[in-house]
Amino acid sequence: MRRWTLKLRRLPKTCIPAGILIAPLLLSTINTRSYAIPAFSRQYGTSCTTCHLDFPKLNDFGKAFKDAGFKFPKDDETFLKTPPVMLGAPAQKDVWPHTVWPGTIPGMPPIGLRMNNFTQFTGTNASRFNALAAPGTVAPVIPTSDFETGFFSVFMAGNFGSDIAFWVDDDLSVSGDNSAGGLGDGYLKFVNVGRFLKLPTDSLSIRTGQFELDLPFTQARSINISPYDIYTESNVGAINSMVALQQNVANQFSFAESQKGIEFSGGHSYGGYHYSVAIIDQNTSAVDQASNNNAYVPSATGGSNGGVGFASDSSLKDIYARFSYRFNLEKDSESRHSVQAAGTTGPRDHTFLSLGTFYLHGKSQQGIVGADASGNPSTLYAREPYYRAGGDFNFNYRNFNLFGLYMFARDNNLLPVDSSGALIPLPVGSTAAVPVGFISSVPAKFNGGFVQADYLVLPWIMAIGRWDGVNSSADRINGLALNSGTAYFGPLNSTRNRFTPGIQFLIHPNIKASFEYQFRPKQFAQVVTDPSTGLQEPLSPFRVNTAVVALEFVY
Amino acid sequence: MKRVVLVLLAASLAAYAANISGKVTAGKGASVVYVDAIAGKTFPAPAKPQMMDQKQLLFVPHILVVQVGTTVEFLNSDKVAHNIFWPAISGNKKLGHNLGTWPTGQKRDFKFDTPGIVPLLCNVHPEMSGFLVVAPTPYFAETDAEGNFKIADVPAGSYTLVAWHEGMKTPQSKPVTVSGDVTVDFALSK
Repeated sequence: MRRWTLKLRRLPKTCIPAGILIAPLLLSTINTRSYAIPAFSRQYGTSCTTCHLDFPKLNDFGKAFKDAGFKFPKDDETFLKTPPVMLGAPAQKDVWPHTVWPGTIPGMPPIGLRMNNFTQFTGTNASRFNALAAPGTVAPVIPTSDFETGFFSVFMAGNFGSDIAFWVDDDLSVSGDNSAGGLGDGYLKFVNVGRFLKLPTDSLSIRTGQFELDLPFTQARSINISPYDIYTESNVGAINSMVALQQNVANQFSFAESQKGIEFSGGHSYGGYHYSVAIIDQNTSAVDQASNNNAYVPSATGGSNGGVGFASDSSLKDIYARFSYRFNLEKDSESRHSVQAAGTTGPRDHTFLSLGTFYLHGKSQQGIVGADASGNPSTLYAREPYYRAGGDFNFNYRNFNLFGLYMFARDNNLLPVDSSGALIPLPVGSTAAVPVGFISSVPAKFNGGFVQADYLVLPWIMAIGRWDGVNSSADRINGLALNSGTAYFGPLNSTRNRFTPGIQFLIHPNIKASFEYQFRPKQFAQVVTDPSTGLQEPLSPFRVNTAVVALEFVY
Repeated sequence: MKRVVLVLLAASLAAYAANISGKVTAGKGASVVYVDAIAGKTFPAPAKPQMMDQKQLLFVPHILVVQVGTTVEFLNSDKVAHNIFWPAISGNKKLGHNLGTWPTGQKRDFKFDTPGIVPLLCNVHPEMSGFLVVAPTPYFAETDAEGNFKIADVPAGSYTLVAWHEGMKTPQSKPVTVSGDVTVDFALSK
């Protein structure tokens, strides 16, 4: 997922429609990251199923373990089979500030590894792509079956004592390519720092580094093979020259990507309230800051010498906030307030209903070469406020879990104008009038979401049904242009939806076989002009359905 | 006179009790040796209950040997939820049972009226494993680290001695006649 989004950032604007066109196909072959943590199994001498239902999906105890900073919620030290290494005697705390505050490191390197492979079978409609290659061209072929190497990843997580948790995961190779991987999440979390302010227990924790936002349902640690479409949707406005109403919006933000910043959070994910507020870097213009490495540019580690350079293309920061409340519905009060519910045959996940909402606000920055009021050359920046807002629900009854999310996205649209106030067609060409400013036009919007049902048939069999929908008029407009180098167009309808049933088997607690059948969104390979309206319309829509089998192991 | 002597001799033999000792060669961990059921002979069930704890995600002790009819108390000493169930007793799935779940520090009782091997499991922590060996007689012992065992005060007579070790498919039996201290060795294999 990360690999895909990074590449998308580097695409020039003119290629963005191509990105939109091929995204659904790519997404069918690139799975989401998913992790269970064998390091914890080793540390505590316990099975994966202590924290996971169908890894990496967490059960209630796993949620409490994560909330506590990767520790058992109570008496953690008594469960450790490998004692931590003391970085200073606990009594050193009495000497502070004349000594370094003592901490601990895990008694063994908390390293886990993960590998997966895929086999994909594509429906016969794929031939409609292959057959429509322009005469004299060799178009990419979509095979009916394909064996694919997946991800080889390393991940580490644990606790340094004093309620300081850490997490790092990194894809060492993607599709067998060692240069294609990269960091997923890498952060420190200071758990329950509110205790220093006499706040209620667990009401304030701070996380900083690179992390997946506190999404209602995780993408990075999802059990699904293919990602949620709404999470991968970035808002690219209608910039097709065939339509009059253009949108100067190329916001690369998507929820599927990890973000860099700081997050304040509190509450519990296994019952009661939970909130988070994150302040994150803004980088929406697709400007590659890695090239901003002049020796005179200040950088944390010297960008010109191979350091990190800059991550953000703007001084602006985005803000993400989430609030949810989970109602545990057990009749028995003690059970209702426990981490896990007490069943007649043993502890189990609660029957619960969780309701939540989330909101992201930022400013998308688009730079254009233009002129100032005096006619002198100048770079003009359109700083377009944008937001993503939505709500979610999560209902669990015994082994049945139904959850879903709806999201609405809106980006302001500032179109460039020349000195006479006339709109300048996009993209601004070298012979076009010189932009001197912007005027506000019709915003670029999309909405959509997903609904998913998980049923744990047996402790080792998970049945999944999922529906994804994304409604973006800009996608449709952009899709009206044939993508050069391919024989097909983008999504046919402004609404593209897919249904994805699946089933997963735990061969062992750490080995999983997954199957997913994707009834894919409609696409088309021909566009005709409607004689009555003069507008271009797609012809002969079809779906290229796909079956994907995945084998994954962690150790 | 002769009859009186014979009766006294028989009575003295019956009253004589000896030790059965020996060594069990098996895999890692303790083995259990017990005198199998004696036809026509019953023993009163012990009144004192025995304790099996769940502590630090372990069954403590790992193996508990009790006489048939004993009540076992199952304690949860962990501050996490546990349960205890056994899918079968000596392979008989009809005797499987789930005791449910109970809070930290509390215990739940169960009286074992059927002799056999009871594999104890927790459906929350599948790595947890313990064993209850329900012996049909009060004559049983657990081996030490070297595999040695000693069953004390066994009345004279002919019996079947059974040795069990975790991981072995079936217990191994040997006939033994007790008329004084006797040594019996077992070599268990998978």
